[in-house]
Amino acid sequence: MIEKGKISAMQMGIMMYPTITATAILLVPAITARYAKQDMWLSPFWASLIGFLTVYIAVQLHHLYPQKTLIEYSEDILGKFLGKAVGFIFLFFYLHANGIIIREYGEFVVGNFLSHTPLVVVMGSMILVCSFAVRSGVEVIGRLAEVIVPVVIILILANIILLIPDMKVENMFPIMEKGIMPSLMGAIIPQGWFTEFLLIAFLLPYVDDRNKGKKWGMISVTAVMLTLSLINIAVLFVLGGITSRFLYPAFSAVRYVSIADFLEHIEAIVMALWVAGVFVKIAVFYYALVLGTAQWLNLSDYRPITFPIGFLLLLFAVWSAPNLIELIHFLGSSSPFYRISIQTGIPLILLFIAKWRRKTNNQKLTQQG
Amino acid sequence: MDVVFRPFKIGGKTKAALIYIDGLANIEEIDASVLIPLMKENNAKENENTDQLIPVYHILEQKLTVSKVEKVQTITACIEHISDGNPVLLIDQQSEGFALGLSNWEKRSIEEPTGESVIRGPREGFTESLGTNLSLLRRKIRSPQLKMKSMKIGEYTQTEVVISYIEGIVDQALIREVESRLNRIKVDGILETSYIEEFIEDNPYSPFPQVLDTERPDIVVASLLEGRVAILQDGTPFALIVPVSFYSLLQSSEDYYQRFLISTVIRWLRYIFLLISLLLPSLYVAILTFHQEMIPTTLLISIAASREMIPFPALVEALLMEVVFEALREAGLRLPKQAGAAVSIVGALVIGQAAVQAGLASSPLIMVVALTGIASFTIPRYTTGIALRMLRFPMILLAGTLGLLGIMLGLLMILTHMATLRSFGVPYLSPMAPMQVREMKDVLIRAPWWKLNTRPRLTRTDNIQRQGSDQKPDPDYGNDKTSKGKGGS
Repeated sequence: MIEKGKISAMQMGIMMYPTITATAILLVPAITARYAKQDMWLSPFWASLIGFLTVYIAVQLHHLYPQKTLIEYSEDILGKFLGKAVGFIFLFFYLHANGIIIREYGEFVVGNFLSHTPLVVVMGSMILVCSFAVRSGVEVIGRLAEVIVPVVIILILANIILLIPDMKVENMFPIMEKGIMPSLMGAIIPQGWFTEFLLIAFLLPYVDDRNKGKKWGMISVTAVMLTLSLINIAVLFVLGGITSRFLYPAFSAVRYVSIADFLEHIEAIVMALWVAGVFVKIAVFYYALVLGTAQWLNLSDYRPITFPIGFLLLLFAVWSAPNLIELIHFLGSSSPFYRISIQTGIPLILLFIAKWRRKTNNQKLTQQG
Repeated sequence: MDVVFRPFKIGGKTKAALIYIDGLANIEEIDASVLIPLMKENNAKENENTDQLIPVYHILEQKLTVSKVEKVQTITACIEHISDGNPVLLIDQQSEGFALGLSNWEKRSIEEPTGESVIRGPREGFTESLGTNLSLLRRKIRSPQLKMKSMKIGEYTQTEVVISYIEGIVDQALIREVESRLNRIKVDGILETSYIEEFIEDNPYSPFPQVLDTERPDIVVASLLEGRVAILQDGTPFALIVPVSFYSLLQSSEDYYQRFLISTVIRWLRYIFLLISLLLPSLYVAILTFHQEMIPTTLLISIAASREMIPFPALVEALLMEVVFEALREAGLRLPKQAGAAVSIVGALVIGQAAVQAGLASSPLIMVVALTGIASFTIPRYTTGIALRMLRFPMILLAGTLGLLGIMLGLLMILTHMATLRSFGVPYLSPMAPMQVREMKDVLIRAPWWKLNTRPRLTRTDNIQRQGSDQKPDPDYGNDKTSKGKGGS
């Protein structure tokens, strides 16, 4: 195997947590609020269903091909030519998706904090730091996630607690004023984020306690669901009906934190710690991309292609959208369908074909025997 | 010539010679227990068979009043013993010589280690003599399970190195690994265990120490009891301990001698000041350059007022003063004690005060630098503290270019590096990453001794129980324990 490291199922679950939440707390609350209004806190629950489905599909495929990643077993399932084609679709998707993530990160940092720094410098420095982690392998990314995620969770909870004085519970009412539809509509966009759980298909072969993979995948989805819902509630309580007018509602809410005229304007610290979460997210996507590419090209080692792919990522981050408005438009309109069809649709088809082939193979065997 | 050849005749007949190095051998003992008994051989009994040669076993059993005698057969062995300080006795017509355990060279007495002083705890430290150091360990661990494996390193120095461990606790694979790494060392000589350290560590390019060095026997014993391996070397008071994790490098032996609540608080203080020593100057630069809104208005005004006359940007100002501080620290360290005090006076009063008045640095920055200095001294291990102190400089540069984002990227680089490090197979950040919840009792807190029931999980997973469970002191002990009710029932 190309990757010799081993991670525990818990590490996998911890890695996936910032992989979803890191960017989902940026633009998503505003987009959700646009459709769901005061029911926006319900939307993550509906959206998470596709997350559970994706984890289920990935785990089922893993059981059929325990030692292989998504790229490898696509070939086994569909044959050499079609498998390579599907593998290319996945890889290109992850290249594009990671480019978008890096762009989101860059736009956020430049737009809010370092307005005079070129976007390319902000994005490039992050890719460079990530590439060192990716080169060190899955074990190291897992360990980094274990150090970073507790800090991120404490950060989120601490901010919510500090915001309590500014919260108005009335903002939540009336619950489900127009029935269930608004919250379902609001769930469409976050669904795109939950489908990213397909990445565990790249991690599961390297999990040493295999039977716990499903359990920790599900725990991770639940944790993400609760976090997003909690953030939506906090944002709704603080900002109320105007949530959808903000670009980054969660960070705008943080600006309200003011304790004793001293602890205020903490958004730069929040940004710095959030960067650590984004780091894990980009590293996991980057790792999947590098590992998948190496397997797609039948390389014996993935390290040499880390930096070239990092450079490609930077280009895709620049190319992914001409400006922030276009990026938000893409994320708020077609992106969920794009993401769901590739990250849940194709794997679902793969699973059906794999099951069907197993069945026919077994039938052949029994007929012969 | 320091090598003494002393020819003499045993009982006035058999020719013999004693070879030793002046200053390494105990001359009084040689006179009293070798030369006097052997040269006065010709008493009445022996005169009966005057022509016969005196049999060797006779000399050994009856005449040599020396407790430690070793037979040597080769010239190399002879030379080795002589250079160790053991006089060698050669007798005419005999194919064997005798190495006598009468070495006695000048050595320092056992003192309190100055680098690792404690308020409560044993005050003895290792010395330059390996024999003394081993005896210090033996005095603390009386079990025969304490093993010492000896080897020689150094083509010319032939320095004795001892691997010490407790059989039954230590992982055998770890011992083999340590031995093979030590056997690979081929050098002219080693003068300090740091030579060994550089040859055996996992990542030679890391700023972080991957081996713990200590001159305290109690730390070595505690580490041995946790299943680690100690490497001691003749000629230096510093012993090496492997494997270690980053957290064990942040601990002081006194953590285990203080009350556990106090130790827990002190540990957290240390973690906080560890971050301060690494980040405070860069935070100052980042906030003043990029994120002024974070400072409360009144403080911002006073900082701005004090910075008004400063010609440099915050980055240059901070780098300048940090370099001056490092130079002061280094100067104070190397100078004799009397001059060291003068340096600190010059540094603290003249440079600190004068720099502010001359308009070279602002007084908030002087405070930041001083606080950083204090913070770096709260880390009990010098090697760890200096690694973090040096990493401060790239962090300041990053803070000056990208602000808080730069600091975060720098921290992530350091974290990534630390996550890749291993010390003899043990991940450097364990037990935090990979997470082992059970081990947290000795990292996040210092659990009381009656709760530290398991050894740290290093490389082996069996035999982790270190003491009986349920030893919490309770006034009810001694009475009928089972009748102890819960919740006042």
